[in-house]
Amino acid sequence: MADKPVYEEASIDGQPSKLASIPASDTTVWADASPLLQAACAGLRDGELIHGDNFNLFAAMSALEIMDPKMDSGIVCTYYSIDEAIENGAAPIPISLDSTIDVCRTIDIMDHLLACEAAWHKGHSVAQTVFSCIYLLRLDRTAPHALLHSYCRIIRATCKAVVSVVSDARTHEEEDLFTLTYGLPLNGDGDDKCLSILNAVEETISRQLRACKATSSKRRLPEDLEPLQSNPNLEEGFCKALLCRLRFRKHFFHVLSCMKRPQGRGLESARKNIASCLTELESILKSADFLRSCFDESCEGDIDDKTTASGFEPIGFDAMLNSRLSAPTPPRAIKILSWKKAVEYFVKLLHDLDVICSYSLDPHLESLLRFVVQFQKSQPDLVARSHLQLLLVQDGKLYGRDPFFAVINKAAALPEATKNHDIQKNESFLQLGMLVMNLLKILCTNAAWQRRKLGKFLQDWRVIYVQLELAFRNEYGEVSSSSNDENTCMKIFQHILLWVEEQTFWIAFRFLILGFELELYSTGEYCMVYWYLYAVLIKLAEKTHLMMAVSHDTAKRKGKKKKDSPKDLARESRIPPAVLFLQCYICLAEGLTMMLAALRNEIPVFHGPSPFNTEQEKFVQHFELLQRACIPDHVSYLSYKESTTHARFSTLAMYNYFKDAQRIAKEVKSSFSNDPERLAELRKLEQVAEHNSVAQNVICRLGALDPSLKVSFEFSHHPFFATVVVKRS
Amino acid sequence: MEAKPEEKAEIEAPEIEYVSYGGEHHLPLIMNLVDQELSEPYSIFTYRYFVYLWPQLSFLAFHKGKCVGTVVCKMGEHRNTFRGYIAMLVVIKPYRGRGIATELVTRSIRMMMESGCEEVTLEAEVTNKGALALYGRLGFIRAKRLFHYYLNGVDAFRLKLLFPPPRQVL
Repeated sequence: MADKPVYEEASIDGQPSKLASIPASDTTVWADASPLLQAACAGLRDGELIHGDNFNLFAAMSALEIMDPKMDSGIVCTYYSIDEAIENGAAPIPISLDSTIDVCRTIDIMDHLLACEAAWHKGHSVAQTVFSCIYLLRLDRTAPHALLHSYCRIIRATCKAVVSVVSDARTHEEEDLFTLTYGLPLNGDGDDKCLSILNAVEETISRQLRACKATSSKRRLPEDLEPLQSNPNLEEGFCKALLCRLRFRKHFFHVLSCMKRPQGRGLESARKNIASCLTELESILKSADFLRSCFDESCEGDIDDKTTASGFEPIGFDAMLNSRLSAPTPPRAIKILSWKKAVEYFVKLLHDLDVICSYSLDPHLESLLRFVVQFQKSQPDLVARSHLQLLLVQDGKLYGRDPFFAVINKAAALPEATKNHDIQKNESFLQLGMLVMNLLKILCTNAAWQRRKLGKFLQDWRVIYVQLELAFRNEYGEVSSSSNDENTCMKIFQHILLWVEEQTFWIAFRFLILGFELELYSTGEYCMVYWYLYAVLIKLAEKTHLMMAVSHDTAKRKGKKKKDSPKDLARESRIPPAVLFLQCYICLAEGLTMMLAALRNEIPVFHGPSPFNTEQEKFVQHFELLQRACIPDHVSYLSYKESTTHARFSTLAMYNYFKDAQRIAKEVKSSFSNDPERLAELRKLEQVAEHNSVAQNVICRLGALDPSLKVSFEFSHHPFFATVVVKRS
Repeated sequence: MEAKPEEKAEIEAPEIEYVSYGGEHHLPLIMNLVDQELSEPYSIFTYRYFVYLWPQLSFLAFHKGKCVGTVVCKMGEHRNTFRGYIAMLVVIKPYRGRGIATELVTRSIRMMMESGCEEVTLEAEVTNKGALALYGRLGFIRAKRLFHYYLNGVDAFRLKLLFPPPRQVL
């Protein structure tokens, strides 16, 4: 074994570079281990493995092959360290001695940072995106360059603020890459002053812009003000390009600060800053034409793919410098978003935040739930969703303001006075408050995560119902209560038990329909899914109807009317619109179940058997969580088979559920004339019902006779009710 | 598992020979196939983990002496269920669309079933229509969607096959 020291060859071309080597110290020495390794290799035959107490085949899977770029995160690509990169001029300060080029390159850095930020928000690591910027990694050395320095500072402060919001929300497990900061320098001394530093620079450039506009005809500047850069023809364009970028950062930082204020106190200010951000983003987009044309040389490649407005590659970025932070495996190559797509991302983010800021903080849980469901339809990203969650749940209260017992009290149509009742200290009621809080948090997560959580959540809601029912029976089982307080307690229990049931079925309904959005069901499984949906909707409608009857009672008692007018009586006997709405859903679910069952029973090819299991196993798997929580009771694979096994085209022809759905949708529209969201939904339901009604007629008439009939299902009109498409092949 | 490769090899179905993993001599064949087609950087130890501990679950497909496809699996106890897991499935491009992958997977699943597994699971990209159709036909359901499972931002489905209980309760 040779004892001579060997210097590390840091560059890839094999030339030893003294600058990059790790020198031996007083207590260390380099030794050549190659002969030893060769002897070890020769000592093992193919297929043999060294065993150890902590080293078995499973552990061996974590083995890395040194110098394999796919596996070795320590492999040097360009520079060994940030310092080496800086020493080699990778991030010069100033960027160029030519002030025009310096300004241009600074703008490129700003643009690329925006693209990196968007890529980070979208799910890549901050180490490979924002912190691939060498200037950001060594922020202090940018101090002589006011523009770059102020911009980097506010970027760092913004990243820190965003990480803080997402961390606080704590429901991002699947997206946990986001908050990993790998020990990168996110906390800067003096970052709290980043806004004033930015303002100073903005002020300077504003003066420069005013000056260049005023002196277009004169030769000397009125003030003793140095221009931004050396080409007077480009001065105005550059000033404007910089100002909108700086202002965007300022307003965006304000948005984050305002939205952080408790109990939604900063929402209105946030909206103003959001509007300013959007204006500045427009200006940023417009600046692209100027930036692309200021030099004679044009950039290569497709401008739409570039990460800068000018199209030039930015100086001072190296994603591989942080590769050791993601050890043991090296980070995969990621694609930074194009600059255009980054701007689009921020526009969407700002719109989503604006929706949140416009929310009226409605104390009615039902409205809030509908708001959250509607908000999620636009598929907001993690940052927006975290902000919503933090607005809704603060300090264990709704909006940081309303205790959850009071919220439940209102939702369960109890009189206002009961919200302060001592019964809320009861363990079961405390737990119920936690469940409502967790429900809100879950509803703010991404759909895939949300569905899994909702499924597991069903058990918790079932348990709380059983607990409350038990507590109710123990206290008031056989007592014909006489005291006022006992009456009140009984009423609280009764209302809340009913409300818990309604909520549980609502959660089950959401769990089932999310499966369509996530494409979890294959066509052969639609029949059982619609059947289960039908079963859940029936119960949901039942509980909703009861809840409304009970809330009407409460209102009556509160009301000043002593007698029911004929109008009131008539209204009482009509089914409430909200329940009719659900009945429309029920008809569509039933119609689809029966049609799919008939198709399956009549056309054997429609759904072939699988070699390893049957429909029963699929039923068990899809509905395991619902079955375990007995939601609903007395529902099983057997009852599903019983309901659907006799469906035929001839039975289908006897009743058209889709026509019922159409009729109900038409009827109930007038009740929702002030509710654009529900009107839109009803219109979609009408379209599905109409198409499916026609399809059903065609299938019934021709189904058995025409073997070339092709039936397919599309979600073109509604996200979870399929439109049946019949074609002749 | 894509449709319509540009050049299809001329073969007849009976010409494909299916072989159970037979030893170290099969390992380089499996490694070459997987390295070619998938982007995961697997070290030799990863392959050895699967084929050494569960050789009966890995199969290779040969055409005229050339290895054209392979499946690599494992099984074990997972939260009180005895479960099989399909780790890698590859068929080289000119041989796709002929049911070779289906046959490889079927053999492995059958072995899992006979070994007492209660279920089989794997992950697949939501965009991999071919794989989803293949496993769907075999009885797998899409049990979960995993958000941004792959680093390129693509979601995955967790696919699960539940075997019927060994004895029918009447």
